[in-house]
Amino acid sequence: MEFRLEAHRIVSISLGKIYSARGQRGGLKLHKNLLVSLVLRSARRVYLGEPGGECALPPRPGPPPPPDCERLRRGCRPLASEAAARGRPECPAESPRKRSAAERDPAAGYPGKKPRREAEQPPPQEDMETGNVASLISIFGSGFSGLLGKERGAAEATEPGQVCCEQPVLRSLNPWSTAIVAF
Amino acid sequence: MEGESIYEVDSEDGVGADIISTVEFNHTGELLATGDKGGRVVIFQREPESKNEPYNQGEYNVYSTFQSHEPEFDYLKSLEIEEKINKIKWLPQQNAAHSLLSTNDKTIKLWKVTERDKRPEGYNLKDEEGKLKDLSTVTSLQVPVLKPMDLMVEVTPRRIFANGHTYHVNSISVNSDCETYMSADDLRINLWHLAITDRSFNIVDIKPANMEDLTEVITASEFHPHHCNLFVYSSSKGSLRLCDMRASALCDKHSKLFEEPEDPSNRSFFSEIISSVSDVKFSHSGRYMLTRDYLTVKVWDLNMETKPIETYQVHDYLRSKLCSLYENDCIFDKFECAWNGSDSVIMTGAYNNFFRMFDRNTKRDVTLEASRESSKPRAILKPRRVCVGGKRRKDDISVDSLDFTKKILHTAWHPTENIIAIAATNNLYIFQDKVNSEMH
Repeated sequence: MEFRLEAHRIVSISLGKIYSARGQRGGLKLHKNLLVSLVLRSARRVYLGEPGGECALPPRPGPPPPPDCERLRRGCRPLASEAAARGRPECPAESPRKRSAAERDPAAGYPGKKPRREAEQPPPQEDMETGNVASLISIFGSGFSGLLGKERGAAEATEPGQVCCEQPVLRSLNPWSTAIVAF
Repeated sequence: MEGESIYEVDSEDGVGADIISTVEFNHTGELLATGDKGGRVVIFQREPESKNEPYNQGEYNVYSTFQSHEPEFDYLKSLEIEEKINKIKWLPQQNAAHSLLSTNDKTIKLWKVTERDKRPEGYNLKDEEGKLKDLSTVTSLQVPVLKPMDLMVEVTPRRIFANGHTYHVNSISVNSDCETYMSADDLRINLWHLAITDRSFNIVDIKPANMEDLTEVITASEFHPHHCNLFVYSSSKGSLRLCDMRASALCDKHSKLFEEPEDPSNRSFFSEIISSVSDVKFSHSGRYMLTRDYLTVKVWDLNMETKPIETYQVHDYLRSKLCSLYENDCIFDKFECAWNGSDSVIMTGAYNNFFRMFDRNTKRDVTLEASRESSKPRAILKPRRVCVGGKRRKDDISVDSLDFTKKILHTAWHPTENIIAIAATNNLYIFQDKVNSEMH
């Protein structure tokens, strides 16, 4: 459980870094953004309880992690492409993904809000953060079109032509990958 | 080690413009070049030792300062190109002049450094100020003579190697053939001829057809010191690839792949980040390679690809703090590493203005601090210790009181002597080892 909370925090920090990278002097740092997206991928997996998510965690006593771990970490595509690649199972272990309840039905409530009722109340600022991040994560799960619908207006307003994408079609499908493709 | 000289690069314009971004000795160690975030290069020269001033033996003084790169704007992509000097590399000296390469994110420049200490006097047609003489006053001819003048150091740009890189240049390396050099960005490595600026050969290209498939980038590269056909490049996944340019024109297929399997007990969300290699350096002998990742320095034998022959912990006490270091961006800091002249000691920087040295033979290591208080001229540096709980000695620093804004990313070791240059934000420290001191 604590891993999920930590994963949640890491996801929100990572998203913040990707956002703030866009205004950086000297253009996007490809290396740093790649590393952030890899961390985001691992944390997201753990947070959503996906198979392969255990690969990002230190080993616990008990059964060894699934053998796909090494392959997942080394050969898999980064987070940004997962939705787009759903039709092409590069990582077979991910195809039959179990969706958490929140992913299958975003209206069922943000996963982040459940632990809060049970545990002590975090400060109000964290509430906002939790809500935003959880909704973003569930939108991730239901495909980037969901994100595009919500975020498109905001994204275009904050990007006055600074990001130049190689493939304009790609950009409309996959806003998160523009952190990497923006050259 | 004795503290010797401290140079603070002061600037009126903007905070951070004088943060030193690279340090490099030339091949004899007579000259030391630094580049900063504001695009300036400062060259220091070692004073020859003289009997008249025994206390000034071998001190480094400013020799020349020039503006290497200016900020530029790429109108097509609406991106500003930073003027920060990423790397400086000296060319081997071939005549009276010195030459160096300096690069920012996009453009590499070749500079020629020359001295002028004489000037001609006694022209027939012009006077001392260069104005034309009244010919009626010229009654006899004289031969102009060279008279000594105050030393003037002139730095001129000889070549500009532009438009070779789409991504940010992270390394340059001059080939042992002294005719070519390579420049590496995140995804590609180009080979240039020092005399040709309108063309370069692409020798490594790891850009995937679909950028969404990107999983690793090039982080550093270097030519082998003796074999002009060999070079190495490191990746963000922690691997090293040794390539042979004789094998094919495009060296995408490595000759050797150096990679150490990850220790599963150390796995975390940040395993990938901390395994990214930030610097790779061949030993002077050419037999070994030194790499730096976030927590360790490793020595690799060119003959063994499966794992490094030596691993040294730089600051393992940070392993439990990776999440905080991710949050404040420190986990992305790129530390460099250096060999001493005989390849027996390796050095790298850390936080709190600490730097570490590891003696490969005695297996002893030492932590030293580059600070004004401990670096008065001819003061002896005192070894420092970071305590990680348990018994705390006097003068120990606890992990929680380390200053993470004081980081030593750039260090250089004189090619033959025990003189080191340490860049601490906008200060340059030069330490000399007058007697062979022991490691602790």
